[in-house]
Amino acid sequence: MAADTLPKVIYEHEGVFIHSNSDDDGLEQDLLLSGSLRIVDKDGEIIVEYRPLEDSVDPSNMLCAGKDSSSVMEWAQCPGERSHQLLETQQSYETEWDMVNAVSFKRKPCTNGEGTLNHSHERSRWAFSFSISDLRSITIKEEGWSYLVFKLKESSTSLPALHFHQGGSTEFLDSLRRYSLLSEAPDDDTCFLVSTPNRALSQSFENLLDDNNFGLVHKLKKDPYVTTLGSFSKVTNYIFDAIRGSEEQHQRPPEEVADLLGEIIPGLEINQQEEPGFEVITRIDLGTRPEVQRRGPLSAEDWAKHLDPEGRMLNIAHLKQVIFKGGLCHAVRKEAWKFLLGYFPWDSTLEERKALQRAKTDEYFRMKLQWKSVSEEQERRNSRLRDYRSLIEKDVNRTDRTNRFYEGIDNPGLVLLHDILMTYCMYDFDLGYVQGMSDLLSPILYVMENEVDAFWCFVSFMDQMHQNFEEQMQGMKTQLIQLSTLLRLLDLAFWNYLESQDSGYLYFCFRWLLIRFKRELSFQDVLRLWEVMWTGLPCQNFHLLVCCAILDSEKHKIMEENYGFNEILKHINELSMKLDIEEILHKAEAICLQIKSCKDLPHSISDILGFTTDAAEPGSQESPRPARPTHQQEAFSNGHGHLRETSHNSCKVAFIS
Amino acid sequence: MTAKTSLLKVILLGDGGVGKSSLMNRYVTNKFDTHLFHTIGVEFLNKDLEVDGHLVTLQIWDTAGQERFRSLRTPFYRGSDCCLLTFSVDDNQSFLNLGNWKKEFIYYADVKEPEKFPFVILGNKLDVSERQVSTEDAKQWCQENGNYPYYETSAKDATNVAVAFEEAVRRVLAMEERTDHLIPTDTVNLHRKPRSTATCCS
Ligand SMILES: Nc1nc2c(ncn2[C@@H]2O[C@H](COP(=O)(O)OP(=O)(O)OP(=O)(O)O)[C@@H](O)[C@H]2O)c(=O)[nH]1
Ligand SMILES: [Mg+2]
Repeated sequence: MAADTLPKVIYEHEGVFIHSNSDDDGLEQDLLLSGSLRIVDKDGEIIVEYRPLEDSVDPSNMLCAGKDSSSVMEWAQCPGERSHQLLETQQSYETEWDMVNAVSFKRKPCTNGEGTLNHSHERSRWAFSFSISDLRSITIKEEGWSYLVFKLKESSTSLPALHFHQGGSTEFLDSLRRYSLLSEAPDDDTCFLVSTPNRALSQSFENLLDDNNFGLVHKLKKDPYVTTLGSFSKVTNYIFDAIRGSEEQHQRPPEEVADLLGEIIPGLEINQQEEPGFEVITRIDLGTRPEVQRRGPLSAEDWAKHLDPEGRMLNIAHLKQVIFKGGLCHAVRKEAWKFLLGYFPWDSTLEERKALQRAKTDEYFRMKLQWKSVSEEQERRNSRLRDYRSLIEKDVNRTDRTNRFYEGIDNPGLVLLHDILMTYCMYDFDLGYVQGMSDLLSPILYVMENEVDAFWCFVSFMDQMHQNFEEQMQGMKTQLIQLSTLLRLLDLAFWNYLESQDSGYLYFCFRWLLIRFKRELSFQDVLRLWEVMWTGLPCQNFHLLVCCAILDSEKHKIMEENYGFNEILKHINELSMKLDIEEILHKAEAICLQIKSCKDLPHSISDILGFTTDAAEPGSQESPRPARPTHQQEAFSNGHGHLRETSHNSCKVAFIS
Repeated sequence: MTAKTSLLKVILLGDGGVGKSSLMNRYVTNKFDTHLFHTIGVEFLNKDLEVDGHLVTLQIWDTAGQERFRSLRTPFYRGSDCCLLTFSVDDNQSFLNLGNWKKEFIYYADVKEPEKFPFVILGNKLDVSERQVSTEDAKQWCQENGNYPYYETSAKDATNVAVAFEEAVRRVLAMEERTDHLIPTDTVNLHRKPRSTATCCS
């Protein structure tokens, strides 16, 4: 690579593989070579680069062995085990020992040997790059995953096929389409011919506008059609700036940062729609925000009233409604959270729950045993386990240390936090431990005061949050896009302002969303917010409306003070521990009702909030489907239509299409 | 204040847990908080100081060290005037990773002349008795990788923290003087975005 011009990354994806058995290197095995694929803009030239990872930790490292009862581990040698409860539970495993062996780890076959691909010079020979103007065609094949074959215009040597074992091929092609035209070959519908537009033209266009507008022009170049539509709001921004008499200079770094973030969260700067065609919400009158009331928390007595003699929960819809409206008294949490999180089925009897807990206890300790019995020697050869453990150890020491449950040096709370997170790695080794998970576990463990229950409740919560933590953080991207869509509907002027400050992708909400406001609120308020959220009321993705409510309270400050990119980030970061949970929940619910009472909601909005108009089952909802509420003063819909008609809330929706 | 002030952006990089946030907090607030959370996302703090007669507002950026969050931290590398590569003297792996951090920074910060970019290396947790990285090894790495200044710091007892940040400022100022680009703006709003770096006119 040229050393002097550093490229601007347009697309980047790790986990793109070359199958290296296919040519003359003499290796017998079908080695998967993991690498990263990029599209970069080097001074206007669009280059595709593939680089093998130097020290890749790829999923092919891990192998799930079949049950092999001949190599059962000796749990009795498991060192330092002092927990009475654990020893007791272990007695019951004798017949199930082979479970312990169900997961084993294969060392990468070629870490240090001669002639292996791991040596950087060996690996680097698999690296390649080319300019897209030299690209003749791309052939797309499917084999359970997608792989792409590139043909260059003037080259007889063929490039190795790239296998997208971890997804990303669609995004890759979409990114290419911004810079080139891909047209289906007449004789082969898996093959796309590539042609690149006249670059000189777009270059000169860019020069027409001064540096200040770089961001917009850059987007325009990437996707002329969509940006043209989106730039309606841009126009208002510039007018807005002019009226305000802002002398502020837009300088390159923040804009470039924003551009890069825009690449990471693709689709944010444009209107995100599932349907073909474009639906740009330019103006929508939501009507006034209705008054709502919150109530006090549910007492232990009231909770008990919802139990039948055998311990089944009664009138669940009403119960959820009450919890949504006021949360729970602390005494009820230990029991109620298990239901809210789905660890206990609502219709189970007390007896059934006891049996469930017994089974889950066994299951938990079986998994705990798996990492507990890994010897130092084994761990030395298992880099992933080692890395998880080291991250967990570091983070446990830095999670809620002012809370009495986790304070001090030898607090048992710290050991439990550690052990549950390690066991979760065994439960979901692919995900393992990612920073942020200790924040999600800590309040649950605090409430449960029990290792096994806390673990299973955490598992349920992680089911909801899983995507946030995955390699590509798809959950985060989706949520940021959804939030942006909602904000644009609710407050176009503010959204425009954020866009004008290169903050329209809402990066500053990252921490809010990753760990559901865990760091923004006091510990007690986190408990309140979470139990309210887990009711699934009053709509799907209610936490996004919580974001909107907070932003709604901050927008005046942000706009009046004319905060720029950095200051917005700083301002939002510094809200931490200054927020009032009841006020936020109050406003978020009002916003929900306000949106819900709008007749002609754009589909994108109804999809996000789960306002489906027919009785069809909503597809994959993140939180449990809200149950139909009983008659309340605040008659509100349960997510299946059933809107209350009022006269003032007719909506005007304008679309440009 | 109406004196000439420049806004400099420095960024702390290094493995999770080496003490980046602790160093930043020690320097800006002169406190060491043993209850600090690990960092999620990106944060920054400003600090005004005077170095050799120059008034400077340092904008110190702190990010999360875990690999998974790379794509969300790298965009913020742009526009940095200096990079503080941090490891912990009681964690050899964090020392071995310095090279990767440097590479990642140069790549994503879009540094025009990587050989000339001012890096400062910090070996933190000097107060800890069980060292895994010797001063000699660290110095040697700095020498071999670009003759970078090296400081052994302790965010806990404040050893060398201010000195290290001030050195970072000196390096930047020296760089800019050398390339004759130091044009401080009068009475800039200190809380605004960083002024363009010296390389923007190339
Ligand atoms: N003894 C000692 N401990 C320190 C020092 N600096 C930080 N620590 C401790 O080391 C741990 C990690 O410090 P952080 O400042 O959170 O580390 P970080 O580099 O910001 O980590 P991430 O945010 O995860 O990237 C904390 O428990 C600190 O209390 C130091 O100088 N001496
Ligand atoms: Mg930190």
